[in-house]
Amino acid sequence: MITITKLLVGIMGVVVGIVFGAIPGMTATMAVAVFLPLTYAYDLETALWLLLALYVGGISGGLIPAILINIPGTPSSITTTFDGYPMAKRGEGERALKVGIVSSFVGGIISLIALWLFTPILSSAALKFSSVEKFLIILFALTVIAALSKGQMLRGIFAGFLGVLVTLANSFSVNNQYRMVPAFLKSKMSDGFQLLPCLIGLFAIAQIFEEAEEGMNFKVEKTDSELDGDVKFSLKDFKGQGINLVRSSLIGTFMGVLPGVGGSAASILAYAQAKNFSKHPELLGTGVPEGLIASESSNNGLTGGALIPLLSLGIPGDSTTAVLISAFMLQGIQVGPLFITQNQHTWNTILVALLASNIIMFLVMFFPIKLISKIIYIPRARLYPVIIMICIVGAYATKNGRIFDVWALLIFGIIGYIFGKIKIPASCFLIGFILGDDLENYFIQSISAANGSLLVFFSRPIGWVIWVLIIASIAYAIWDDRKDKKKKAAAN
Amino acid sequence: MINVVYSTEHWIVPRIVMGVLVVLLLAIIITEGRARVKAGGSFFEKPGKFFIDGYDKKKFWGTLILFVGYIFTIDKVGFTVTSMVFVLLFNLLYTGLGKKQVVVSVIIAIVAPLLISILFGVVFNITLPKGMCSITFVDYGFTIY
Repeated sequence: MITITKLLVGIMGVVVGIVFGAIPGMTATMAVAVFLPLTYAYDLETALWLLLALYVGGISGGLIPAILINIPGTPSSITTTFDGYPMAKRGEGERALKVGIVSSFVGGIISLIALWLFTPILSSAALKFSSVEKFLIILFALTVIAALSKGQMLRGIFAGFLGVLVTLANSFSVNNQYRMVPAFLKSKMSDGFQLLPCLIGLFAIAQIFEEAEEGMNFKVEKTDSELDGDVKFSLKDFKGQGINLVRSSLIGTFMGVLPGVGGSAASILAYAQAKNFSKHPELLGTGVPEGLIASESSNNGLTGGALIPLLSLGIPGDSTTAVLISAFMLQGIQVGPLFITQNQHTWNTILVALLASNIIMFLVMFFPIKLISKIIYIPRARLYPVIIMICIVGAYATKNGRIFDVWALLIFGIIGYIFGKIKIPASCFLIGFILGDDLENYFIQSISAANGSLLVFFSRPIGWVIWVLIIASIAYAIWDDRKDKKKKAAAN
Repeated sequence: MINVVYSTEHWIVPRIVMGVLVVLLLAIIITEGRARVKAGGSFFEKPGKFFIDGYDKKKFWGTLILFVGYIFTIDKVGFTVTSMVFVLLFNLLYTGLGKKQVVVSVIIAIVAPLLISILFGVVFNITLPKGMCSITFVDYGFTIY
């Protein structure tokens, strides 16, 4: 049921998301993480409306500063700057923004269709999984993140396993014995560190430390880009771009399905493909709608894609959907193969809310774009103190009011800041942190059932398929790394 | 073969993970060291500076100290008052002590915590840190934390 409350929550979510997305340095993940505590007060459906709206808004808002000031608002709009900014400089700012918004909308809708079609199929395949396959799928999730963290494979896998280790600092559910927990914290850590403080710490607080170090004096001056030029937006900009739109959206969706792959990888790949297939590859990068379309449809394609593994396997496709997992947990719903059959109603809500969010995003951005684009002038130095306050509220409320979780928030903030310094990808750490408990449980279940024999992991054909995927993902990473190095060597 | 013994099974996976981490760490050191040697450098890199050049000491350490102070006092004094004080301090730290800056900081510091306090604590009934400055209106059944 669509109610007035849900619509209002949806509009609020999209607008707040756009603000977070449009201010460089603040991301969709941050938007969802910071506002998650609000959902404690809502029922699951309204909560989903809010979170999905924040997600779609956050991904879409990034195109505004990318086009107007050549700074991507979110990592996934890096490629938007390539063609968007040159257009704005020529005085086609409004046209560029509108091409971006329409492409975002199309990307969102195509990925929604993919979500609707493929999640049930993947779920029913996953229903046949025993604990052995479930364990292997998580292992695959950990290797595939790494395989795609460009040239950082080892660090990516390392971060993932470190996340697993940190999340295991708790009392083991089978024999209630503590491990890796100092004696004085035993009363607080029977179920380990909570996800929410970890997540807000890594993705919001760490960012604030980083900017404090840089002096927090980032300011958007009046730019040389112009909104009203002679060349206006018209649907003709999309003439001959149908294939580009669909291809880029599907690339975004597919990259979204792979765990831990951010929007930047998706839009870079889509942009490269658009260039490969373009009739005029030399024009890309000089300010043509073609590149803009590829970039923006692919990064919004991510939204639906990232929900596919989340809902069918219980594995988050990116750091933002990782926050959605905790929203489900808070409402007592287990995502995984049984999710759709057991929660048909919630599943429908997700589809409707995602569709509505995309439509709201389009309406809120397309018509008042001149007004909306002023967001980029909001100084972050004024927003961060308030964000710190909201983060503390969120962390405190995680387990109904514990100051321990607020300290954990600060600690994870510092850890996230240090990760940035030593080039450990925080998103890989987070995926490991989320999946660690399941990884352990399925492992112990599998070997217990087999009387301790590790051969159980090679005993079933479905397992072999996943092994092949794991090995292929590592092999791909090594091959990709070598290729990059050769290219670099050749360039020198 | 791994023997699953009830009394010690809580250590099986953490130990394996630690082992994997050690192996990965060695692999990182070796591959990156070899790459440096190949590029004409030495196997071990001199650790670079942790902070960026000319980093803003006041804002960085100020953020950390204010953060610790904020958490430390929040459940003793109560959410609303503590937040007003610290949101003001954070604002002054980040934007400076110019006259206009101070006025804007004070306005944000009064409005934002009140808004959040009422929205989360009263309207949505979410537990906020309570302390000596929290007031419960028994007759009306709500608390300003």
